[in-house]
Amino acid sequence: MKRGIGHRVRELKVTLWTLIVPPTLWAAHFLFSYLWAAISCEKVGYFARFPITFAVGTGLALVLIVASGLIAWAQTRTPGTPAPHDGGTDIDRLRFIAYSTMLLAGLSFVAVVFTAIPVMLIGDCR
Amino acid sequence: MTAPPLDDVALDHTAQNDPAVRTAQEDRLRAVWKPPAGLFLRWSDVNNNRVGIWYTLTAFVFMLFAGVLALVMRAQLAVPDNDLVSANTFNQLFTLHGSMMMFLFAVPMFEAVSIILLPQLLGARDLPFPRLSAFGYWSFLIGGVFVGGSIFFNVAPDGGWFMYPPLTTRTDLSGLGADIWMLGLSFIEVSSVAAAVELIVGVLKCRPPGMRLNLMPLYAWYILVVAVMILFAFPPLIAGDVLFEMERLLDWPFFDAARGGDPLLWQHLFWIFGHPEVYIIFLPSIALFAMLIPTFSQRHLLGYPWIVLAAVGTAFLSFGLWVHHMFATGLPKISLAFFSAASEAVAIPTGVQIFCFIATLWAGRVIWSTPLLYATGSLAIFVIGGLTGVMVAVAPFDWQAHDTYFIVAHLHYVLLGGTLLPLFGGLYYYWPLVTGKKLSDRLGRIAFWVMFAGANLAFFPMHFSGLMGMPRRVFTYPAELGLGGLNMASTIGAFLFAAGVALVCVDLCLSPTRKKGKRNPWNAGTLEWLAHPEDEDWGIRSVPLIESRYPIWDQPGFVEKVDEGRFFLPDAEEGRRETIVTTVLDARPLQVVRLGTPSFKPMFTAIALGGVFILTTYHLYWAALGCGVTTLAMILWWLWTGTAEIPEKAGKSIGHGLTIPLYISGPSSSGWWAMFITMMADATAFSGLVFGYYFFWTIHPEFPPAGPGMDGPGAFWPMAALALVLAGWAATLVARIIHARGQVSAARGLLAFGILASLASLAAGLAGPWLTDLRPTLHVYPAIVWTLAIWTTAHSGIGAIMQAYALARSLAGRMPPAYDADLHNITVYQHFLALTAIVAYATIGLFPAAA
Amino acid sequence: MSRPLFRSAAPALFACLAGCNMHQSTLAPFGRDAADIRGMTLLLVGGAVVIFLGVAALVVAAMRAPAGRLTHDGGMRLVLWAGGIVPTVVLGALLVWTLPAMRPAPATPADLRVALVGEQFWWRVAYRPPNRPPVVSANELRLPVGRTVVLELGAGDVIHSFWVPGLAGKMDMIPGRTNRLVVRADKAGRYRGVCAEFCGLSHALMAFDVVAMPPAAFDAWLAAEARPAAPVASAPGAALFTANGCGGCHAVRGTAGTGSIGPDLTHFGARATLAAGILPMTTANVARFVRDAGSVKPGARMPAFRHLSPGDTQAIARYLESLK
Repeated sequence: MKRGIGHRVRELKVTLWTLIVPPTLWAAHFLFSYLWAAISCEKVGYFARFPITFAVGTGLALVLIVASGLIAWAQTRTPGTPAPHDGGTDIDRLRFIAYSTMLLAGLSFVAVVFTAIPVMLIGDCR
Repeated sequence: MTAPPLDDVALDHTAQNDPAVRTAQEDRLRAVWKPPAGLFLRWSDVNNNRVGIWYTLTAFVFMLFAGVLALVMRAQLAVPDNDLVSANTFNQLFTLHGSMMMFLFAVPMFEAVSIILLPQLLGARDLPFPRLSAFGYWSFLIGGVFVGGSIFFNVAPDGGWFMYPPLTTRTDLSGLGADIWMLGLSFIEVSSVAAAVELIVGVLKCRPPGMRLNLMPLYAWYILVVAVMILFAFPPLIAGDVLFEMERLLDWPFFDAARGGDPLLWQHLFWIFGHPEVYIIFLPSIALFAMLIPTFSQRHLLGYPWIVLAAVGTAFLSFGLWVHHMFATGLPKISLAFFSAASEAVAIPTGVQIFCFIATLWAGRVIWSTPLLYATGSLAIFVIGGLTGVMVAVAPFDWQAHDTYFIVAHLHYVLLGGTLLPLFGGLYYYWPLVTGKKLSDRLGRIAFWVMFAGANLAFFPMHFSGLMGMPRRVFTYPAELGLGGLNMASTIGAFLFAAGVALVCVDLCLSPTRKKGKRNPWNAGTLEWLAHPEDEDWGIRSVPLIESRYPIWDQPGFVEKVDEGRFFLPDAEEGRRETIVTTVLDARPLQVVRLGTPSFKPMFTAIALGGVFILTTYHLYWAALGCGVTTLAMILWWLWTGTAEIPEKAGKSIGHGLTIPLYISGPSSSGWWAMFITMMADATAFSGLVFGYYFFWTIHPEFPPAGPGMDGPGAFWPMAALALVLAGWAATLVARIIHARGQVSAARGLLAFGILASLASLAAGLAGPWLTDLRPTLHVYPAIVWTLAIWTTAHSGIGAIMQAYALARSLAGRMPPAYDADLHNITVYQHFLALTAIVAYATIGLFPAAA
Repeated sequence: MSRPLFRSAAPALFACLAGCNMHQSTLAPFGRDAADIRGMTLLLVGGAVVIFLGVAALVVAAMRAPAGRLTHDGGMRLVLWAGGIVPTVVLGALLVWTLPAMRPAPATPADLRVALVGEQFWWRVAYRPPNRPPVVSANELRLPVGRTVVLELGAGDVIHSFWVPGLAGKMDMIPGRTNRLVVRADKAGRYRGVCAEFCGLSHALMAFDVVAMPPAAFDAWLAAEARPAAPVASAPGAALFTANGCGGCHAVRGTAGTGSIGPDLTHFGARATLAAGILPMTTANVARFVRDAGSVKPGARMPAFRHLSPGDTQAIARYLESLK
């Protein structure tokens, strides 16, 4: 039987580990940006203005964060319990972690964009 | 046996209808949880309600002491060109004030309060490792007295709480104080990490049945987040401490620029700890808000997932801020800019929390009370500190404000508003929980207003004195700068604040004269308020089934059912201290775990470990080694006699038709989690050392450098050591698997082989730098290679001890295949050891050729 | 507080604060960077005050609102907008506004370079004008008004931090590293700088004078500073200076004193202060410092000369003061 993508997304159950995926992506991107700039400044003496590695890294991080946010968003709509979804059921627990993951994806998205701004505004290593 | 789904459990209360049954149960519980009595024996207690109170009181006393140090400083600075205390004394005063407030008050206080509150919040009888809590407390007490007492001998640390080398590593410029700081506080850091392990396992594994992640009290969420932060924040500092003491005691030049070191490495390692530290002490206080604001709004907290977002988001972002303490060090501007950006981003989750509280107050029925007064007042102070925080995140502004009294103002606004005043609010809120008596509302309010006025009078003028050119950490300032008036105001404010704190102390001292009040005096909705004014030591009468975030408000007849033992585990039939272990996500009951009973072992272990650190301070290395061996022996004795005990029966009924095991091993057990979490911290410390290696590579055009004493360790010995570690790892892993299938003899053989492999890897790991004659005092390259080799081989040695321990347990008949928790736990260690060895030996053995 | 009163009080308050101390304050700038940062500071403070008042008003409103005035959805909208979206936009704008200000001002090889090295507890200064030999001095920094100057900051023993609040933000001096700070003084006058990073016992007593001069006067001064000390061999203090080995640590160009452990004293008498900006230049103060430097400045490396008679220390002091 062919299953829709929405169904598959809902199969990917969020847990305590998936909760930290978006901020971990931010952390990876942040560390990558910092090390890339620090090492190229020390070892090369400069970094290119819009280096392709940085652009690709940032794009990748943003795409993954949006993807995790979307998966979480799909799961926040898991049907089966009445509002306000704060009861002691499997579905409410799932919806809660999904909702928190979605919010974290939003924050991580903003934080990655903030990390990218310096590269655009500061041109050199001095 | 798998965890039963709770949805199918039909609560059957008939068994508890007979009062005689209930009385008999209560008698048994009371007998089991009876605290040790007597002048001497009482100190062997491990129950969280007592250890937590000792812990809290000790931290409170350290806070008062550090506060008095601050008053002396303010007296010295009241007028220009003052000579009340000497420069030498003043430097000791500010170093000790900062260090004690951070390491001996703020962090331990959060852990202490959590040790009291967490079991109550989670409806557990105690935390999973009561003896570990006691060990943490005794370590804290010994280390704290050692560090704090040094000022009476005029040898207190005097290099600032940040201890920047080379001022502090050059033995001609700094004395015993630097060693006292480094070793005394390392000792306390170890106990902080121990407490963090306890709290994480407590939150994840000891929740009551039905308390799924989405029903957890927010305090528990914050504790989980903060404890995880401790796990990742403290180890880099411990790594820094290791390098620091190697330089001081052995002259290995990690921070000596003349021999290839760099003082900035310390700053990185220190602030990777130091900035998350700010949030480590701020979030628990916010957690207190999250408990008391719903109570005084008489409604659920608005935006529960948003608070979780804020806590988790802050935890992550706080690790991307450390360089904002280094804005003036001349790092490339692009690096600074990343941290400036992250420093501003972290304001977003902080704001979210504050608006959740405001929205809750807005939506609810506000009941004006003393704790709420403290909460709102500290919020006002904190918001000012937060806004100046956003200002100093702007690098150009920080270049002016950095290391001036503007920062002193900023950080005290943050810490008073974000830690101290919320704690006082928490004190007024939770005092009835601990003692059954309310504190005086009147005195509390007066104290609040005195403190509020004092704090603002002391710290607001500092914004101006800083911008007007007053640097920090000066023991005096010239009259011509015109800063006398502002400083006098600050001094008056400081004494006013101290008067407010004194009023709180008076209120506390009057408490024993007051009558006990009623239960749950604030009409709160969360579990901890089940506590009865006539406190029983058993923690909770029966472990409830949770169906709401505010069960006392929402679940009908909840308090009576708990009291009448109508929930789980209402009895102690076998005369053992017990609590329930549940699953992480949905809190399904997994196991009844037997808890540690009163014992002096934790205290003696702490004394022995304290001996290692304290004797090293005085260069008494042989005595320190003796203490080290004693510590190891104590730990093995403690583990051998107190853990992984084989129960007399496989399972036990906890009521309502549920029978769950008394013993589990592997990833669902609390011991496995404790090992896993401890090793995460260990791996983080190791990554700090590896960071050091690559940091030195970055700053040196030629690394490794050429020359005699610096050509090593070659690739052969590191690769040999790696192969041996992996052999030991594989042997342990296979031993665990076949042992579970019943092939006990083969597993024993593999363990014996594993011991040999680990010991051989220890020798091979050291052979590399030894045989190539790397001389660590010559240059930082040989020094860091030796450090990585020693770290890794020491872990191999510990690995061998663990393998020997498991083998001995098996031979002694204490580890049959069905009860193999020890083997599971040492395998976790071996996984981390293998990872450590791969990174370390690849770095020292292969990287030089690649670079 | 009524509004007219506030309007008249606020500038007065600032004027007083700045007026109390005109020579070591970020609020009384004489350099380009410090002036830029002061402008930024005022805007940041203004923004912070507005936000604080806004939050305070919300808290008061929340406390006073009757139960249920705010619905669950309304509360979530408040959190989303006030806690999430508005801060994100404000902080993003702040970042875009402030990041470009981090870029250092451009400098060319033709600009004057000055090497400053922090020591416990004083400052080595070496002017390196383009195409001319360096000029060594100590504990005083002179700057030509209107010209870009590149400061090269290093440290001899421990970490120090170079901070002239009226000139620019601070920059650390770290052993093994050389940090650059590009500055420009815009207003002539006498100012003060301090060490801003805790550096040991007398951290509080490590300051220096900054003199911003019109460019022509600066050039003349630098030429004079480059010359050796005027010969005053007849002064008794000179002989005592030599006999007591002072020249082993202190250089006085043109004499036998060539030491480089302590500050260069070639034009010592021309400085306004001594002991790194902490005492006015008087004979009594110099004599006191010579007799027992450690009592003036705890932890100073200069040994005490208590065995000298007061007359001798006076003579040395007078000699040093004559080194203009």
